[in-house]
Amino acid sequence: MNRRKIAYDLGVILMTEAALMVLPLIVLVIYKEWRMLPSFIIPVAALIVTGKILAWKKPKRENIYAKEGFMIVSLAWTLMSTFGALPFVISKSIDKGNFIRSFVDAFFETVSGFTTTGSTVLGEIASLPRCILFWRAFTHFIGGMGILVFVIAIMPKAEGSTIHIMRAEVPGPTVGKLVSKIGASARILYAIYSGMTLLMMIMLLAGGMPLFDSITNAFATAGTGGFCCLNNSIEGYYSVAGCNAVYCEWVIGVFMMLFGINFNLYYYLLIKQGKLVLKDEELKWFLGIILGATFIITTDLTFASDIVIDLPDAVRQAFFQVNAFISTTGFSSVNFDLWPTVSKAVLVFLMFVGGCGGSTGGGLKVARVIILIKNSIRSIKKAANPRRVETVRVNGRPVDEDTVTGVLGYFGLFMILGIISFFIVSIDPYTADLTTGSTAVFTCLNNVGPGFNLVGPTENFGEFSILSKLVLSFDMLAGRLELFPMLLLFSKIGSGKKKYL
Amino acid sequence: MNIIIVGQGKYGMTLTQQLANENHDIVVVDVNSNAVTTAVDTYDVMGICGNGATVDILKEAGAKKAKLLIACTGSDELNILCCTFAKELGTENTVARVRNPDYASQSQFLRENIGINMIVNPEYETANEISRIIRFPSVASLDSFARGKVEIARIVIHSDNPIIGMQLSDIRKKFKSNIIICAVQRGSDVHIPDGNFIIERDDSLSITGTRSALSSFMKQTGVYKHKIKNVMIIGGGRIGFYLSELLCNTGRNVKLIEYDEERCHQLTNELSDVTVICGDGTNQDILEEQDIENQDALVALTGIDEENLIVSLYGEIRNVNKVIAKVDRHSYSILNNIGIETLVSPQLVAGTLVTRYVRALENSADNTHIQTLYKLLDGKIEAAEFIVPPNWAHNEETFRDLNFKPNLIIACIIRGNRIIFPGGDDSIISGDRVIVVTAGRYLKELHDIFKLG
Repeated sequence: MNRRKIAYDLGVILMTEAALMVLPLIVLVIYKEWRMLPSFIIPVAALIVTGKILAWKKPKRENIYAKEGFMIVSLAWTLMSTFGALPFVISKSIDKGNFIRSFVDAFFETVSGFTTTGSTVLGEIASLPRCILFWRAFTHFIGGMGILVFVIAIMPKAEGSTIHIMRAEVPGPTVGKLVSKIGASARILYAIYSGMTLLMMIMLLAGGMPLFDSITNAFATAGTGGFCCLNNSIEGYYSVAGCNAVYCEWVIGVFMMLFGINFNLYYYLLIKQGKLVLKDEELKWFLGIILGATFIITTDLTFASDIVIDLPDAVRQAFFQVNAFISTTGFSSVNFDLWPTVSKAVLVFLMFVGGCGGSTGGGLKVARVIILIKNSIRSIKKAANPRRVETVRVNGRPVDEDTVTGVLGYFGLFMILGIISFFIVSIDPYTADLTTGSTAVFTCLNNVGPGFNLVGPTENFGEFSILSKLVLSFDMLAGRLELFPMLLLFSKIGSGKKKYL
Repeated sequence: MNIIIVGQGKYGMTLTQQLANENHDIVVVDVNSNAVTTAVDTYDVMGICGNGATVDILKEAGAKKAKLLIACTGSDELNILCCTFAKELGTENTVARVRNPDYASQSQFLRENIGINMIVNPEYETANEISRIIRFPSVASLDSFARGKVEIARIVIHSDNPIIGMQLSDIRKKFKSNIIICAVQRGSDVHIPDGNFIIERDDSLSITGTRSALSSFMKQTGVYKHKIKNVMIIGGGRIGFYLSELLCNTGRNVKLIEYDEERCHQLTNELSDVTVICGDGTNQDILEEQDIENQDALVALTGIDEENLIVSLYGEIRNVNKVIAKVDRHSYSILNNIGIETLVSPQLVAGTLVTRYVRALENSADNTHIQTLYKLLDGKIEAAEFIVPPNWAHNEETFRDLNFKPNLIIACIIRGNRIIFPGGDDSIISGDRVIVVTAGRYLKELHDIFKLG
């Protein structure tokens, strides 16, 4: 284990976070919220000092392997969330009386931000200082594409083994580079990401949304996070004067879908390889699921006895909510907790599916779902005719048997982790019923944001106990980093033995 | 530069490593997914799994816009096919590894009619390198610059050498020879020495000078070795075959020991002047029986590194004048310290050759002035030959006034027919050829030798 290199990389990442925290400071200056100055100056100073100490000596050996990649990624995200929580605590935006309780809440909020979950502990959001709201939304943007990918993008020359870091951070069953150089690949990804965010911001501005809200909502959508600056999410814009809320809802809905698509496909479009995009099987499934789910929910809403709604409204709300769940953004434009059970069941299903591999979305990823389904069909065929040999195919190409086993293992681990977390969260007195407990866990594990009942769109996670919040924070990190890095970190600390690594 | 490397065997991997270190945009292609994964995990390259001689895979690898494609799979036919396809798709230059002597002998046709720009035959190149060392046995390895006028030789300092403990400045005064010690390898570290540098035992020195100056220096310091007349080669593979042929042509007595009887017959058919012995050349009794004592050189070329090393160590102990061992696994750093003076690796020889070609391509694109480029001491040292441009601003300044970067030495200046091994009073003038030796830095043009500002 190349400890010095791990420490050095962590130092660089913390200093990068310090640099990124300058942006909320600029917001602070613009809105003249001078009272908030220490809330950002202290964390920035702490980040720089810690970063400098960790990156004091350049490592002698530069080479790292998969396990170092996992360690760097999991430790980086945990440390970043710890420091990123400080502004909330110092500004007393999150104040639970004693320091530990406030800190755990702020940690939960920051983890939720970086992992682009969007579950919040805050009931009252709109009245918070602007710089805090900006930081809250900005964590989504940082976490969406990944801070380490950002660091790789700005590094002048990457070592070959940097791929281990990228692989541990970028979501999806397999990671392919866009171009030969990993640094260039990371820069292309960030360019597409930032470009789309900017486009969305402009389109929201055109719809009459205030500038600050356009920026923060674009950040939250780009990272597929879901933090909004209003108390009742996107629904709140229906009561903002001068804002064309119907238009904005459509824009956000479409962009949530776009950010749930594999970014490699946008690169193919840019280099005029449109054919490859049309052929992509994962994209077809993704769009098919959205279409089907929207259709089911629209029908369900129109025929539901206790909801009176026009068809255009039903289509819009269904489309928005479907995309909010499948891209794991978790915005709400209506209190969907009041919807009929069929619609809610569809949303729960979408929660598990998640975005495409290589997008900013969470969840299992469409690619994995395709492989799971195809593999199940193969198992059935094989049960009927045991001598049959068949390969799982995606995009017309056979999928490596290792990848199939990897997906099965991932799914198994995902369910085990979910069930254990569900059990721990059930102990909590706030968990009144099974729906609250299970959706709270799986919304965190899938990085969606809201759940149902007591964690529904109008509720928040603030009343959970410290233990539940820590478990849910772990789930969010595990879900964002695709389980293995976080579990590896945990097993390392827990066992204290080196023989497994 | 966009480079596609097809085939990730030993050669492909070494090439990938060397070219990735020079910061090219590389795509590697191999049918074996493990080989591709290893390359992608270790170097900053992109990998594609598939047959490199199919149009689809070549297109996917970007053959339409690639500047260079290097085909180095195990199959000659596949390599030639792959280069032909790539050329047709629009790749500017292609390099093929062709090993079969039947094909390699028609390299001119391949170049001119098929459009393959360079044919690399690693075994032949290795044999060529070994034969050059045998022709000048005092040194561990030898490279020539400026069309052979200047040589860079590497010698190893043994315990009986008089220059141990001397400063470089004293060495030049004492021996009055026109040579420059431009790099010293000590253990696994490489130094570019200045005047105060002190030579220690087991150092490996890279020295520039003319052939005669080098010879006289070696005679004075006792590293000189007598001309080699009798050579014993263990292993009759492709390298052994080429080497025997090369050495026979220069009038040396070659004794080739090969284990496989059928191969022995084949070798005797093709090499009439060579004494072919059928037997296990790694067996001590056979070596003794075949009179190892009276051989001037022993070359171990079996397919197994360990056997080559053991035979070579035995040769060193039996005081054979020159011992050369072939190693495939050249990345082990301990190889420098086990007491065998000359190690040759076919992968490195071929890799260096291709790297040099790539550099030349790049230079013609960038219009800089590197003429030839050599990598010495496992690539840790670079020696580059420049032509000084006409608009050179430092014509008047002597070396004392110029502010060179550290870890860099001007090994030699060639002015017309004169060869200067510079001291503090010399200067660089437009039109000169200059050989610059650097450690761990890649010069792009001659201006890079100065400190910034």
